Amino acid sequence: MEQYAVEMLHITKRFPGIIANDDITLQLKKGEIHALLGENGAGKSTLMSVLFGLYTPEEGEIRINGKNAKIKNPNDANDLGIGMVHQHFKLVECFTVLDNIIMGVEPVNRLTFLQKKQAREKIMEMSKKWGLHVNPDALISDITVGMQQRTEILKMLYRENDILIFDEPTAVLTPQEIEELMQIMKNLAAEGKSILFISHKLNEIMAVADRCSVLRKGKYIGTVDIKDTTKAELSRMMVGRDVKFAVDKEESVPGEEILRVEQMSVASNEHSKDAVRNVSFSVRRGEIVCIAGIDGNGQSELVYGITGLAPLKSGSITLCGQNITKAPIRQRAGVMSHIPEDRHKHGLVLDYPLEDNMVLQRYFEPRFTNKMGFLKRREIRAYADKLIEQYDVRSGQGAITIARSMSGGNQQKAIIAREIDKNPELLVAVQPTRGLDVGAIEYIHKQIVAQRDAGKAVLLVSLELDEVMNVSDRILVMYEGEIVGEFDPKQVTVEELGLYMAGAKREAVKQ
Amino acid sequence: MNKKRFSPLRNEGVQMLLASLLCILGGLLIGFVVLLIIEPSGAFEAIIAILKNFFRFSRVNQRLKYLGQTLVRTAPLLMCSLSVLFAYKVGMFNIGAAGQYVAGACATLFCALYLKMPWWACMMAAMAAGALLGAISGALKTFRNVNVVISGIMLNWIMLYVTNTVLSLPGIKNPMSPYTIQIRGNSPTALLPQMGLQKLFNNEKSVTIAIPIAIIMAIVVWVILNKTKFGYELKATGYNYHAAKYCGMKENRNIILTMMIAGALAGMGASLLYLTGIEEWETTISSVPAMGFNGIAVAFLGGLSPIGSILAAYFIQHITLGGGNVDLSVYCAQISSLISSLIIFLCAFVGFFRLTMQNYLRKRDEAAAAKAQVKKGGRPS
Amino acid sequence: MILLTQYTLLFASVLMLVALGGCFSERSGVINIGLEGIMVIGALGGALVMKFLPVEFGGAPVMVLATLIASALSGMIFSLLLAVAAINFKADQTITGTAMNMLATAAATVAVKAMNTAASGGSDVSSDIIYTRARDTFIVRFGTFEFNWFMLFALIALVLSYIILYKLRFGLRLRACGEHPQAADSVGINVYKMRYAGVLISGILGGIGGIVYITAGVSSWKFENGVAGFGFLALAVMIFGQWKPLKIALAALLFGFFRALGNVYTGFDILKNLNLPSTVYNMLPYIISLIVLALTSKNSLAPKAEGIPYDKGSR
Repeated sequence: MEQYAVEMLHITKRFPGIIANDDITLQLKKGEIHALLGENGAGKSTLMSVLFGLYTPEEGEIRINGKNAKIKNPNDANDLGIGMVHQHFKLVECFTVLDNIIMGVEPVNRLTFLQKKQAREKIMEMSKKWGLHVNPDALISDITVGMQQRTEILKMLYRENDILIFDEPTAVLTPQEIEELMQIMKNLAAEGKSILFISHKLNEIMAVADRCSVLRKGKYIGTVDIKDTTKAELSRMMVGRDVKFAVDKEESVPGEEILRVEQMSVASNEHSKDAVRNVSFSVRRGEIVCIAGIDGNGQSELVYGITGLAPLKSGSITLCGQNITKAPIRQRAGVMSHIPEDRHKHGLVLDYPLEDNMVLQRYFEPRFTNKMGFLKRREIRAYADKLIEQYDVRSGQGAITIARSMSGGNQQKAIIAREIDKNPELLVAVQPTRGLDVGAIEYIHKQIVAQRDAGKAVLLVSLELDEVMNVSDRILVMYEGEIVGEFDPKQVTVEELGLYMAGAKREAVKQ
Repeated sequence: MNKKRFSPLRNEGVQMLLASLLCILGGLLIGFVVLLIIEPSGAFEAIIAILKNFFRFSRVNQRLKYLGQTLVRTAPLLMCSLSVLFAYKVGMFNIGAAGQYVAGACATLFCALYLKMPWWACMMAAMAAGALLGAISGALKTFRNVNVVISGIMLNWIMLYVTNTVLSLPGIKNPMSPYTIQIRGNSPTALLPQMGLQKLFNNEKSVTIAIPIAIIMAIVVWVILNKTKFGYELKATGYNYHAAKYCGMKENRNIILTMMIAGALAGMGASLLYLTGIEEWETTISSVPAMGFNGIAVAFLGGLSPIGSILAAYFIQHITLGGGNVDLSVYCAQISSLISSLIIFLCAFVGFFRLTMQNYLRKRDEAAAAKAQVKKGGRPS
Repeated sequence: MILLTQYTLLFASVLMLVALGGCFSERSGVINIGLEGIMVIGALGGALVMKFLPVEFGGAPVMVLATLIASALSGMIFSLLLAVAAINFKADQTITGTAMNMLATAAATVAVKAMNTAASGGSDVSSDIIYTRARDTFIVRFGTFEFNWFMLFALIALVLSYIILYKLRFGLRLRACGEHPQAADSVGINVYKMRYAGVLISGILGGIGGIVYITAGVSSWKFENGVAGFGFLALAVMIFGQWKPLKIALAALLFGFFRALGNVYTGFDILKNLNLPSTVYNMLPYIISLIVLALTSKNSLAPKAEGIPYDKGSR
């Protein structure tokens, strides 16, 4: 019998109203890279939480290196040599790289004074051995995402973990950084580390994994050898039906200019350098312009500037022929809809019922508020019911459901319903499909294309290259607050885009 | 669940009421234990004396008179609690209500005794003074990111010293005592009208329209918060500042406006007390009057609802005055403040209590649902 | 001038001790609005020892140490209220702290009044504790300058705080819990335990601060008055000091100076000639702290996770 590093056998974990893991079996061989594939909500993170002792499964057992293991908390997992790079890094921003690596297993003398010199030597040695370049004395807040990830990997290696779990590690990286990470993973596997690679990106799984287990809606679908399978088969296993990778859409027929941004600069909240620097572009009627780039290169601030959430430092914005550079948010919102990046932070008042969220952008209109300043509750209810019906927003109690209790996909649908029903001239959509499953993503893409076809201008900000390539009519790449390239999606490759996103190439963009 | 079963435990109002009653019970119980520790023999009588307040009198007329006095002092307390809860709905903890109340006292007594203005003008002045103080806290918060609690406390102390200085001016302070002169003799137009209300309370002369005004204000606050566009905006700002900004509400203006309104409510509370002539300001007082702080207790005990506050304000005032009736040669009146503060402390656990209750109800539902599923032979989905 | 220095140092010691306490609590992630109340209870504990422990029993060293330990312990026990509510029950930290402040003054008043009433058979119902003789043991006179042992303790607390927060394993872990408790938890640090430690340390330091405050200038204290917002001034010092021990020390000196002015301004001809009412000097520390906060709070360096209850489930 083959030696397995991790065996999770027949794991079942129930939550109120849902079976998150239904009889799932996962076997990770020693020294292999094993992919765990599934959509958002398929049960991947629940399974990992079970492995780390955060949840106790109702049924099933876990074996580590062939021995039965009782894992009650992350410390037990750590003691068994299991380490994880979380999707959202668990790093303390105002600590140095070194402090973050040693935290929890600090070398100390008898009086518990920290012995950082000793730690630094060990880290430098590991860093050299594995090709994981870091500066141990830099603060986390000052270093690149790539270096933060290397810090996370060093954290596991410093603890001499043999079983390494990477949870969606590529979401924040450039194609070139992804390449590098894949190489590091292969090196680690070659040295005998066993790696579990959680992802929903088929290309990466095909490139790096030896085997792949697929989950769907909490159920175990199967495990395949990568060399015997295809992308199409994997995606069928993941979604349960054939998936079209391309979005159906006609050639765009751009009309007149709706949005024009000239020499815009926006200050940064975190750095002294401006987040957006001298950016100029335009969006026309009937086209989807996509801003591509790695997270944190000024896209958020660009949108804040356009929508009025942040003041411009310099430059001007023209919307439908009117200069709105200094216009208040509400005036802009008359002709512009905004699907915000963070639906919990900006998009919804989570403690308000769904109906109140549905009128968040229009409660002040005479239709919903009378002259005395009283809300017309009956009108609000009728309007919310209409949107819920039309956009198929599902919730426990309909219009009176508290938004917090709804699923992410339905929260996003509610926002999209609200913003599209405003019938704007310009739709600004920022990462509208983040964290959603394939069905919801397809739905949202369709809505965005429909808006374009109805003659609206659409500005889409996306971090997902697939989305960038499939949905947009024109691509602008942002790097460190500047637009460094403009492309036609039909004439550019992902690799080419990656070079621009990483700042390796740039061109003078025609204004 | 197909049909919604009626269950009183599920009702938010009932849950709040239950939680509040538990807080009161807990506060009284611990208070009783403290009394026992001080002197076991009279502890039971003492706690009863606190709870009885004016019921200790056997004659109905006297009871009515003291009920009237309790209500007179309930009105300002209710106003302070409205101030606290109004600000809390917008996400701010208005501990500065105490200082806004002091500012109101300062302005109202200055206008009444020094400027000899009529009662409504004195009341307006009190509201303006409270609003000004609230606006300072609000502006410091929005423009300079200063914690409202800390600025509130600082302003409380500053206002206390300012008020002591202003009300010590000749013509306001009684030269023979540390108190301000009486309104009744010196500026009768500044007294609140009684409109015959005193007849209900055995001609207690301090009973005025202050009592109905405070209740009307509670209803107004409820209507503003729940029925108007303004309330919708304020609560949205309190729940999620960023979303309020995103949809174009003037979130900073709303915060300052809220603090102004909160301040005006507390300031008005002071005028509702001092313009009845029931008591004078003591110009040598060295700590901020407890009225504003008790307003916090009332707001939370009332489940942060204006209507709940009416009941809670009465209760807190009732036991505060009752505290004066304990045997002072053994116990002290502050036992009531101890009980009030214990009640606030327990109120901090209300969220936990409700969560526990909801979890319990959900588990019960699930157990019932699972049973039903088993009967049908299907799997829960 | 010497008097001014002496009072500045004394009040700075109080503010520093309490602000350092606040620093430990907030660095661990718990906002401690209840410092004012902790000071009152700490002061009560210390004052009781000063009243009842005979000065003859072991002389100055015993008196100073016993008072110190009593206030530290009382403060620590009282801070448990915050720890339990905020950490175990995830209660709102602002409400809890506010309740603690009111509770402390009320409880101290009730306790002292009960004590005085019982001792005097009902003739003394004040909330005062007198500790003239015991207070003398705290003081060493160099000419006219009265050195108070607690100044030394404050200095020791400062040095220890710096070492604990930045040089020890404990400090690294404590700070991690206030910045990113999920990260701390993921490497096996018990966030609840660390937060308990932070709050209890703030109780110890706050309690000591309380006794130093009430013995600073007077030889009896009226507990009905609490500590007159000094706990909140200490919070302002902490914010101004950006949650860092050394900067807190400097901020404490500044605030201590303005507080001391109120006690001794009559000794300066320039100030006396200004003829300002004494209330102006009373207000001064509060006004200064408002101004200072308005100037420094904009870019707050507060621990990121402070005030947010940590729930193992949500990650």
